[in-house]
Amino acid sequence: MNNREIARYGLSCLIKAGADKAQCVLAKSEKRELNVEAGKFSLIRTTYDSNMNYKAIKDNREGITRSNKTDKDCIEQAAADALEIATSSQFDNAYDIAEKQESKKFYSGSKEPDIDRMFNRLQTFVESVKEKYPKTILELAILDFTHLNSYFMNSNGVDFTTSKGIYNFIAMFTSKDEERTSSFNYSGFSTRELEKEFLDYGTINLLLKQSSEQLELNTINEKFTGDIIITPDSLAEFIDYFTGIFLRDVPIISGTSVFKDKLNEQVADSGFTLYSRPISGEIADNYFVTPDGFEAKDSTIIEKGVLKSFLLSLYGANKTVRERAVNSGNVYVVDPGDQSFDDMVKSVKRGLLLCRFSGGYPNDNGDFSGVAKNSYYIEDGEIKYPTNETMISGNLTELFMNIKSISKERVNYGDKILPWLLTSGITISGK
Amino acid sequence: MIVKDLSSCSNYYSQFFKEYTELRMQENREINIAYVKGNLMRNEINATSGVSARVYKSGSWGFSSNPDLNPDTAKSVIKSATDNALYLDSRVKKSEKPLPDDKTLAENDFATRNIRRSQKELVDFAKELDTYIDNKYPSLTSRIVVLRCLDMEKSVITSSGSSFFSMIPRTNFIIRLSTEKDGHPVELYDVTGGLGQFEDLYNSASELYQKVDKIYEHLMNKREGVFSNAGVRPCVLDAALAGILAHEAIGHTTEADLVLGGSVAGDYMGKEVASDLVTLVDFAHTAMGGTCPVPVYVDDEGIKAEDAVIIEKGVLKCFMHNKESANHFDAKPTGNARAYQFSDEPLIRMRNTAILPGESHLEEMIASIEDGYYLMKPGNGQADSTSEFMFGVPLGYEIKNGKLGKAIKDTTISGVAFDMLKTVTMVSDDMSWSNGGMCGKKQPIPVGLGGPAIKCKVNVGGR
Repeated sequence: MNNREIARYGLSCLIKAGADKAQCVLAKSEKRELNVEAGKFSLIRTTYDSNMNYKAIKDNREGITRSNKTDKDCIEQAAADALEIATSSQFDNAYDIAEKQESKKFYSGSKEPDIDRMFNRLQTFVESVKEKYPKTILELAILDFTHLNSYFMNSNGVDFTTSKGIYNFIAMFTSKDEERTSSFNYSGFSTRELEKEFLDYGTINLLLKQSSEQLELNTINEKFTGDIIITPDSLAEFIDYFTGIFLRDVPIISGTSVFKDKLNEQVADSGFTLYSRPISGEIADNYFVTPDGFEAKDSTIIEKGVLKSFLLSLYGANKTVRERAVNSGNVYVVDPGDQSFDDMVKSVKRGLLLCRFSGGYPNDNGDFSGVAKNSYYIEDGEIKYPTNETMISGNLTELFMNIKSISKERVNYGDKILPWLLTSGITISGK
Repeated sequence: MIVKDLSSCSNYYSQFFKEYTELRMQENREINIAYVKGNLMRNEINATSGVSARVYKSGSWGFSSNPDLNPDTAKSVIKSATDNALYLDSRVKKSEKPLPDDKTLAENDFATRNIRRSQKELVDFAKELDTYIDNKYPSLTSRIVVLRCLDMEKSVITSSGSSFFSMIPRTNFIIRLSTEKDGHPVELYDVTGGLGQFEDLYNSASELYQKVDKIYEHLMNKREGVFSNAGVRPCVLDAALAGILAHEAIGHTTEADLVLGGSVAGDYMGKEVASDLVTLVDFAHTAMGGTCPVPVYVDDEGIKAEDAVIIEKGVLKCFMHNKESANHFDAKPTGNARAYQFSDEPLIRMRNTAILPGESHLEEMIASIEDGYYLMKPGNGQADSTSEFMFGVPLGYEIKNGKLGKAIKDTTISGVAFDMLKTVTMVSDDMSWSNGGMCGKKQPIPVGLGGPAIKCKVNVGGR
């Protein structure tokens, strides 16, 4: 059987086993990966995997199984298991599968990696870091090319095929000078082609430069309420917190989200607009089909501070009688503001440039606290020094409501496009 | 099904070993059941298996994996991994010396001998627990009951003669309760369970009612809780917090690959890094006469796993190693190389990390603090190559004049672990393990954390 026939067979097994509604997804991946450890090439990996995902709904009861086997016996067994699990499940009218949509094939990126080019680009990066930042150690750098073929079928006639190839890179680094050690930092990017040097992607070069500066740290010896400029790398984390705690299925179904009744109301400053753009041409790492089997569309989550969409799955939407999100989130894009980063710094009386947040997951109320890592103290409009052992605390809802400005500059990581963001009312405490 | 006795095929496979080679067959099986406010939001079985090979050539590694479990596929991953190692060696020419030898034979199977329960019985068990919470505590605004089961089964042979099979299961319940105070949500969760399959850990949902009641009692206290007073305070960190501190803030800095990556511990070998009350060990499989939460008898490189005594009476004594780092540091491998999935290569990972018990009683430790905190549960935590750490603390109490006071709201503790451990003045004489955590380092992996309570000074967040 070819891949398409395997997925089709999985679906037919679910129906034959008695499913009223069925869904089968086959994802076959091939990954080539180069690893650098402690500044030296260490490993090449070639991995193949298959992922078969079976969903059966019978008498409004749902069962799901996953397996990475694609032979007939295993498919039949996994389909039978999904039905058995469905039988064990509870009755719930909210279980469902996607309605029929026009069948489509989606393509993105290359089918094959250029291994020599991968090696040469990574080697150039390792040598450039050694030359430009001699005190910085590349703890780990991973470059991979992953090609994915996926086949999404359900008993309503949904039939989507995706073929996607993407390069992903991440580097983690620490600077060291005799017994002085900086905090580690990391960043990465996704791209369809390796068209430029790695130092020119995302914030890699900026963070390496900062790391080499962060051997000399100063301590803030007091506690005050001030501003923070959240860098694009940190902003990604705060947006994930925001969507995870306030907008997705669990907080809406359980009722713990403080925004559960705030659709079309102000939840952030009017300068803040947040999109999820999985199919945008600006994005290298697209996705085209949601886990529920809907063709993904770009969406506006917050428009000028007003909440326009929750991130509800089909189940979450049915359960709460709300609108299903047109995608499954992520691939976040924030509109740029009208202030340059330099002017943003100049506008800060007292605060921090928050380059990495090492914090506990915020509670349901949005309260967060943690350490400002790899960060800088700002006073009277100037970046003064990198900080040591500095904690910040605040509340997520207030953080987005108190935005003072958003930078003109944005960083495209290939899977998100984010600016710098200045906000106020953050408790900053030194040692 | 993976081949349990891979050694029986070693003659066949060894003909394809051109360089130092590890061949591993592995299956991970998971069950996930989740009730959110009475709604069954997850009811799944996942199984992932396959074969992988890793090959070493003069300092360069090649790896390959495939989900098909048959001899031809095993042969092809050995060839692919060998080709990768040779390609990398041809490009970087490291000329490193051969890896240390191993020749360990073992079989460690923790599978239950009891009759397995069906998925329906597990769903009903979780439902019964959820119903108990709903009936007994109807004023709660939300509740989540999660059952997670993970079986990791591995069969490994190496070209230098090791052969082992292991089946290490873990079963956890996660119970999370939510209430409100002045319109703001307040929540608390706890994780229970550990080594073993479901049938070896639980008979009846009623066994967990006491745990639920305790979470509820603490949640009601936390609901009326106060903000902690930010700053460096004397604290008693209960076992779970001391365990995560040992793991995150000290353990990671002493993994030899992170030492090579620049961790601060590289400068501290043989030096005093903690109070002499502190001895910190990464146990392989047995501690104080009992089996550890994540027992590792042989690691995924075929090395017999041994305890790594990282800090002994305050002095840094060793790093945790795989074969390659042991070569680099001219040390003995400690058996810390572990992989999560069949498609993952072994990395240096902790196993069961704990500070050893001392001689004080918890009550006298609390009584010795005039104004501070008793911090009981960790949330998520992170640490740095500098040993600077941060942990969320979802449950704690004030200590006023030697007595427990009001509960505190969610807070965070932070500090530099190698400084903070020097402030330890008391260590309790008891010991408890937790086995619900997954450590993240390129791959996730189950780890055990444990220890006694410690009295120390630590930076507490707050408003």
